[in-house]
Formats: sequence, structure tokens, C-alpha cells
Amino acid sequence: MIKTVDISDMKISEDEKDILVTYSLGSCVGITLYDPVTKIGSLIHCMLPLSRVDREKAKKNPFMFVDTGLSQQLQEMYNRGARKKNIIAKVAGGAKLLDKKNLFRIGERNYTVVRKLLWKNDILIKAQDVGESKSRTVRLYMDTGITTVRYRGEEVEL
Amino acid sequence: MKTRDEIISSLDHITAIPASITKIQRMLGQKEIDFQELARLIEYDPNLTANVLRLSNSAYFGFKYEVNTVHQALIRIGTNKIYDIVIAAAVSPVMNKPLKGYDLPKGKLWEHSVGVALASEILSEELDISVPDYTFTAALLVDIGKIALGTFIEIDAKPIMRLAYEQQIPFDIAERRILGIDHAEVGAILLEKWHLPKEIINIERWHHQPDRTEEDRMVVDIVHIADILTMIAGIGGGQDGLNYRPSKKVSERLGLTTKIHERVINKLISKIQQVYDMLTLN
Repeated sequence: MIKTVDISDMKISEDEKDILVTYSLGSCVGITLYDPVTKIGSLIHCMLPLSRVDREKAKKNPFMFVDTGLSQQLQEMYNRGARKKNIIAKVAGGAKLLDKKNLFRIGERNYTVVRKLLWKNDILIKAQDVGESKSRTVRLYMDTGITTVRYRGEEVEL
Repeated sequence: MKTRDEIISSLDHITAIPASITKIQRMLGQKEIDFQELARLIEYDPNLTANVLRLSNSAYFGFKYEVNTVHQALIRIGTNKIYDIVIAAAVSPVMNKPLKGYDLPKGKLWEHSVGVALASEILSEELDISVPDYTFTAALLVDIGKIALGTFIEIDAKPIMRLAYEQQIPFDIAERRILGIDHAEVGAILLEKWHLPKEIINIERWHHQPDRTEEDRMVVDIVHIADILTMIAGIGGGQDGLNYRPSKKVSERLGLTTKIHERVINKLISKIQQVYDMLTLN
């Protein structure tokens, strides 16, 4: 089944028939976590880097922010039986405008917080496609654990 | 590929906005408005009537008692908001079409438009700037030129996209190079033909080149940034993605910071669904 991950949303699956997908990431970041041993996988779509902009909302919907969202995503992976040492993390999104003067930094900040948080959790980023002015669609295929990025009609494995 | 002149002359044939709207607008522009007459004019159009009543009773306005007639709606809501409603009711079915040529499915451009309108409202609140009532409507119409180019004139946007990506230039500049005109100017000419107020046309024309406007700078600035923040949030983004260039001068004039960007996007994401449901009509 195709399971759509909306903006500020996360889906987790153990079903090989599932495909997790999130559309038009913009400056948001999409992170796929996959444990090839237990075949547990998840995809998150976070809008903003830090929950301090709205703590109340972060309580209601942690997935909106990278700091609270990614922590929750990891926790749910562990709760289902995934092991930290097996987890493969891939990151896409964090795009920016044609903005040489770097006036709008949300995309870049989103990616920075992802990197910091995964580093703190001892998880390496296996692959990434971030930055530039691309609007990306990300899929996690639960049968193979493959993450793909689709951009301008072309889907490539990450 | 069609030329600039061919595109402009084909705009004459787009009758997407009902003739009654033009009359209603003219009436709303008068100093003394005859509500009876205005109500009758709206009631001539059953779809518009249904939509005005639906919007008037929506949670967004939060009235205590149900509005049953157009006349009641006019008195309750006031002519400024009625103007927004009439325009929204008229353009929603047009903007909610699939955007051909640009490869954008049904609903996406409309979602983006609602996002820009709402982001303008949130941004002006955040900056404590009071903007005129037409700002919301102008922001809602910001990409009508894309519908005109893509869906009605059916230009092929592929070469435009290719140029924008390969040379990393803004999408509107690529449109100007290939077509001799961009969607902002196309939209402005179309809105002129529909007799919309000149302030709305001005915003439409300069929303990607805000430093070129000669009047109403503050509102043009707000809508320019609202459009950009909506793109960044990925609301209704198309193949043109983030291929636009924000004006540095606008950011300086408005005193924008990363904190303000994040606060606006946070509120935008929370409210978009409610406003989208309210404004989306059939």
C-alpha cells in the first residue's frame, strides 16, 4: 500500500508491501530510517528546524520540527524492535531559492539540525540529496529498503 | 512557440470570470452601495449565491447566527469582505483546474494561491503592518497568469523549465526569454481585462520584481515575501519549485529575520487547511 506522509507527518511500517512517500519537499527535510534486519522503516517530513518556535505545537505534533520529530521517529523505530546499529539513515530536501545572498536559511538549518541530531545518536547518514532549488519527492520501498528521490519526472535511488 | 503579441491577444478570449462579477465589482467600487441591487445581482448567478452563502457561514467568519440570504450576508459581512468572497467564489473554480503545460495536478496551484493569501495576512500581523483589504484578494490571484498561460493558452512550459534549471535562472526570467512575457505580466493584463482594481493589478504585475513597482510598495513587498515563504513551505509547489529569486531590498525594508520566517511558516502550516476548505468551491 502507498502511504503518504504529509507535511509535518511521519509514517512507520513493517509491511513489505508498503511504499512510504512524501511529495514536494521544498525547504522541508525528509528522512528515511530503515533497519534491514528487522525490516522496519519510516519516513518523516519536517517543516522547521527547532521546536522552540512553538513548544505547544511541538507537544501536539512533534513531527513538524526536526529536533522533536526525528527524536520521536527514532524512538518509534526502537519501540518496534529496530536496533540503532542497523539503522540506515538517508536525507533529502532542505532546498533553497535562487538566493545567493542567503536571505532564507530554513532549508539549510533543517539539514544542519538533522546532521547534528543523527551524529549525537551515533547514526551515520548513508546518503543524501540536499540543497539547491529542487522540489523533491521521496519514497521508501519497504520490500527492498531502497530510498528514491524523484525530481523533474526522474526517480533515482539515493 | 507563441509570441508575446499572440499571447496577449489570446487573453481576450479567456472568459473565465463570469460577466456578473464585473458588474458586481463595479458596484462594490461605488461610494454609495445599494445593497438590494447588489444582492439581486449576486442572486442572478446561482453558483455565486451558493458560494457567497457557504463562505458567509463558514467557521472562518465565526458568526453566531446563520446567514440565509445574500442581503443578510452583505449587511453582516460588510462590503470589503464581500469583495474578497465574490472574487474567491469566482476564481476558485478557475484556479482549481489542473495546470497544463506546467505539469501541476488539479488543486495544487489553488493550494499555493490560498497559501500566499494566508501568508500575507500572517506576515503583516507578525510585522505589525496594517495592510489594505485588497491584499488578500491580490495574493489569491498572484499566479492567475500561470493558469492563463498553461491551461487556457496551452503553452508548452518544458523549454522554459529546461532553461531555468540548466542556467539556474529564475523561472519568470526564463519565461521572459522564451515567451517575451512572464506569468506575472500575463496575469496583470488578464486582470485588467476583467476590470479588477488597479492596486490588485499592480501587485500581480510586480510580485516577482517588487523593486520595480512605483506605488503601493509595502503591499507588493508583503505579497512577494508571502509567495516565497509559501514556496519554501512546499505548499502547492510545482515543477518550477524554488526557482525564484527573493529581493534583498524587500527583506531589508521589512526587517525580516530567520526567526520571523519560521514564525510565519509555523502559523501558515497550522491554518492553511481551514482556510483552504473554506475558500475551495465548486
